Amino acid sequence: MADLLSTGVSGLLASQVGLSTVGHNISNVNTAGYTRQTTTFNARTPEYNGGYYVGQGADAISVQRAYSQFLTQSVWSASSGQSRASQYATLTASVNNAVSGSANLQTALDGFFGSVSDVANAPIDTASRQAMIGKANTLVATFKSLSSQFQQLDQQTNQQISAAVDSINSLAKSIADLNGQIQKGYAGGAVPNDLLDARDQAVSQLSQIVGVNVTQTSDHMYTVSVGNGQPLVNGTDATQLSTANNQYDSSRLEVVGPGGSVISNQLGSGSLGATFDFRTNVLDPARNQLGRAAIAMTDAFNKQSAQGIDLNGAAGGDFFSISDPAVFNSTTNKGTGSVAATVADVSKLDASDYIMRFDGTNWSATTTAGVTVPMTGTGTAADPFVVGGLNVTVSAGAVAGDSFQIQPTRNAASTMSVAVSDTSKIAASGPLAATKGASNTGKGVLGNLTVTDVTNPAFNTPATITFTSPTTYSINGGAPQAYADGDTITGPGWTLKLTGSPAANDTFSVKPAGSASGDNGNALAMANVATKGVLDNGVTTVGKSYSQLIAQVGTAGAQANTALTAQQSILDQATASQQSLSGVNMDEEAANLLRFQQSYAAAAQVINTANTIFNSLLTAVQG
Amino acid sequence: MRISTSWGAQQAVNTMLDRQYDLSQTQLALGNGKAIQTPSDNPAAAARAVDVSSASAQNDQYTRNIQSANTKLSAEESTLSSAGDILDRIRTLTLEGMNGTQTDQSRQSIATELRQTLGQLVALGNTKDGQGEYLFAGSRTSTQPFTLSDLSVSYGGDQNQRMVAAAAGLQVATGDSGSDVFMSIRGGNGTFVTTAGATNTGTGVVGATSVTDASQWDGGSYTVNFTSATTYEIHDATNPTGPALSTGTYSGDSGTINFKGAQLNITGTPAAGDSFAVAPSSSQDVFSTVAGIITAFETPGGGAGMNNQLNAQLQNLDQAQTSFTDTRTKIGARMNILDQQTQISADTSLQYAGTLSDLTELDVASAASKFSQQQAALDAAQQSYVKMQNLSLFNYLK
Repeated sequence: MADLLSTGVSGLLASQVGLSTVGHNISNVNTAGYTRQTTTFNARTPEYNGGYYVGQGADAISVQRAYSQFLTQSVWSASSGQSRASQYATLTASVNNAVSGSANLQTALDGFFGSVSDVANAPIDTASRQAMIGKANTLVATFKSLSSQFQQLDQQTNQQISAAVDSINSLAKSIADLNGQIQKGYAGGAVPNDLLDARDQAVSQLSQIVGVNVTQTSDHMYTVSVGNGQPLVNGTDATQLSTANNQYDSSRLEVVGPGGSVISNQLGSGSLGATFDFRTNVLDPARNQLGRAAIAMTDAFNKQSAQGIDLNGAAGGDFFSISDPAVFNSTTNKGTGSVAATVADVSKLDASDYIMRFDGTNWSATTTAGVTVPMTGTGTAADPFVVGGLNVTVSAGAVAGDSFQIQPTRNAASTMSVAVSDTSKIAASGPLAATKGASNTGKGVLGNLTVTDVTNPAFNTPATITFTSPTTYSINGGAPQAYADGDTITGPGWTLKLTGSPAANDTFSVKPAGSASGDNGNALAMANVATKGVLDNGVTTVGKSYSQLIAQVGTAGAQANTALTAQQSILDQATASQQSLSGVNMDEEAANLLRFQQSYAAAAQVINTANTIFNSLLTAVQG
Repeated sequence: MRISTSWGAQQAVNTMLDRQYDLSQTQLALGNGKAIQTPSDNPAAAARAVDVSSASAQNDQYTRNIQSANTKLSAEESTLSSAGDILDRIRTLTLEGMNGTQTDQSRQSIATELRQTLGQLVALGNTKDGQGEYLFAGSRTSTQPFTLSDLSVSYGGDQNQRMVAAAAGLQVATGDSGSDVFMSIRGGNGTFVTTAGATNTGTGVVGATSVTDASQWDGGSYTVNFTSATTYEIHDATNPTGPALSTGTYSGDSGTINFKGAQLNITGTPAAGDSFAVAPSSSQDVFSTVAGIITAFETPGGGAGMNNQLNAQLQNLDQAQTSFTDTRTKIGARMNILDQQTQISADTSLQYAGTLSDLTELDVASAASKFSQQQAALDAAQQSYVKMQNLSLFNYLK
């Protein structure tokens, strides 16, 4: 006959397991990655008692996780996406903060060009000249300050890459360890629920750093690969990733896979992928754009400065200076060749970096992204390669496979400086002065004297234009030329407009303006550099290139914020679905607590009843 | 659907955090009045704001340029006005000296006054502007342009004009060189000069001269030779012994002589053999003109020779006065352009300010209303969170 006592005890024990599970759930309500557990009960095999089966009570046969591999994987994937968007938005915001901060390049440009105008208004006034040099220094300081903020961001990305790789390695090791423990846990036949949760939580953390692909082997182990299939965890083995300096530019870190190959561009989503994406698509273009503006400013202003003369009567020298494009040798180069680059044509300069490759006989140029760039020339000093506004010369000694990276603009802004410190060296005056002969009897009137080419060898030779008749003139006794009212007379490197009717023997002369000239012709022209298109084939002004930079980083920031909002809602939905299944609900646990409490009390009552029955029997026997 | 207690709570907290962030952003905007905190708030407007504020700064610079040009032009204007007054005084003194009642001695004292006046004129030519630059030195603004030595004045400047950028593509001259104003003044009547022969013995004095028919005037040099008190011949000055080009009759005192479109008014009675040379004008500086007058007064004797010289110089003096007036007219025209440009700049500046305000400045009214909406949303999120947290079955388990 069935034993009421043991049946009651079985209910008591089963309820205890149920209560423990509820308690465990309640205790872990705030544990990250915890999966709600439920107890499964089963009726014991009944005892056959001749014509019928008598039940023998219940057993708690398993404690199971409320778990869906699909929902969990969804969360991992959404979490990678959200973490990527979040990191990208944070980094892009810091670039936005840099350009909206106190270092406003446009204000500095306006201030500088204003001071050039002031020099034009008072060309020999030392105070205005001093102010112009001061404003030039402010401008350079602004370029440098922005450049250094960008450089700091670049260094921060290095630190973040390094920290992310450390985290990946440590999480990979945890997952591999847990794989081992879980395999052992299963060996006893039961499911090690909390170890599984811990492993999922480690994978979840990993997915925030880098996109993961997880498969489960038949022995309950996870095989984890990252990015484009780089194996990271296989059974109880974890592969270590590492960082290494860029092949060309030792100031930046790349991620290297176990095989030694660079996998920076294959990391996909997660915060680490976002860091590389930010560096390539936001920070580098912003730095290049800033450097390009600095080069354009230097080039355009120096060119105009060379068109004038300073207070000493000497031809205008460079007003700003900036270093030539940076060229980096690949660390894998076998040969001894080298490459040098100079900016030849600013109007063709863009914000790209270039790779020069040697295949044993020919050189070729590509952008860093691998797009082939057309190239002319032979690479000698006399006939350099012309690549995107650069003149590139190569020296002998390169062997097949050697390559070089050219960064024309990246750090240019930080190398800018003001080359003039002596106020008398500002070339405010036009180089030539035109004079009408004192004894002219005709009515010829001097018009604009325009400098076309200061490098003409005869530029500084005084020229006398003598009219041999009212319609004929010669320069310095040269061949006679015809004149009509309003004609432009062309001399060596200059043109002079004459109006009116000169008489025979009238003269006009053009000669160097000499020292201490209070002319402001070149200062006016230098102030005009502000509105002169110098970039993009002569379309974009220096100031405009800065507002393009603002638009560029602003757009990147706005897109990053939109993407973050979208990714956040995807993650929220995935988490809500997963939590809906796996999360602990306190009301549910409270109900279950009551349920098991009641079944426990009832089972205890069964034992009491069995005891009462047994006592009744004893009393009957004692009579 | 099941709700996970901790996720539900976390979601509620996230909602509150989001509402708080919105509120703090609006508060930040209300605090600094900017619609764009970083370019990512509105990339197109942020970039446009940079362009507009740069254009505005440039516009302000043009206004400053115009102010500096106006200062220079006003200084030049008032200097030339004084110089014109001096020329008037010289003219008065000259006419006074030509009066027949004057003696050598009284003419000498007029010459003495004229010498001082010449000094004044030179000093005016050497006027400096507020920045210590000579006004009339062309671009040699640190070199004194006019140097007086006895009666001759030399010019040390050049013929350049300094320009000012008054607007994009608009440059206006901020001065005139001393060479143009004081030195390159066409002599005589502007077309030709008439000089009495040094050996004239009659009392003929050339008065006003003019070109009556410009199409006939060929710019050559001629001599009017009186063959008697009433007849004359015109000769080509390059061929004085050749045949006469034309002959004519002088009608006596205050008669006119006409040839090749030129007209000479002559007073007095020329003697036979007297001659008057007519040559194309060349330039004569105003100082030489004054010096010529002084020399004429200081030369004893007076008479027709002196009057002829003085008449010629008075013509030159009129040309100088015209040069000053012309220059002042040009200055006036330039100042007009600059005034118009100042007005345009002021209008443009207002437009820029308006655009910039539209682009970057916060609409406070709508931001304030947004703030109270967001406040209400946060308030609702907080209250519902507290209410939700109180709803637990455990509250009923005793």
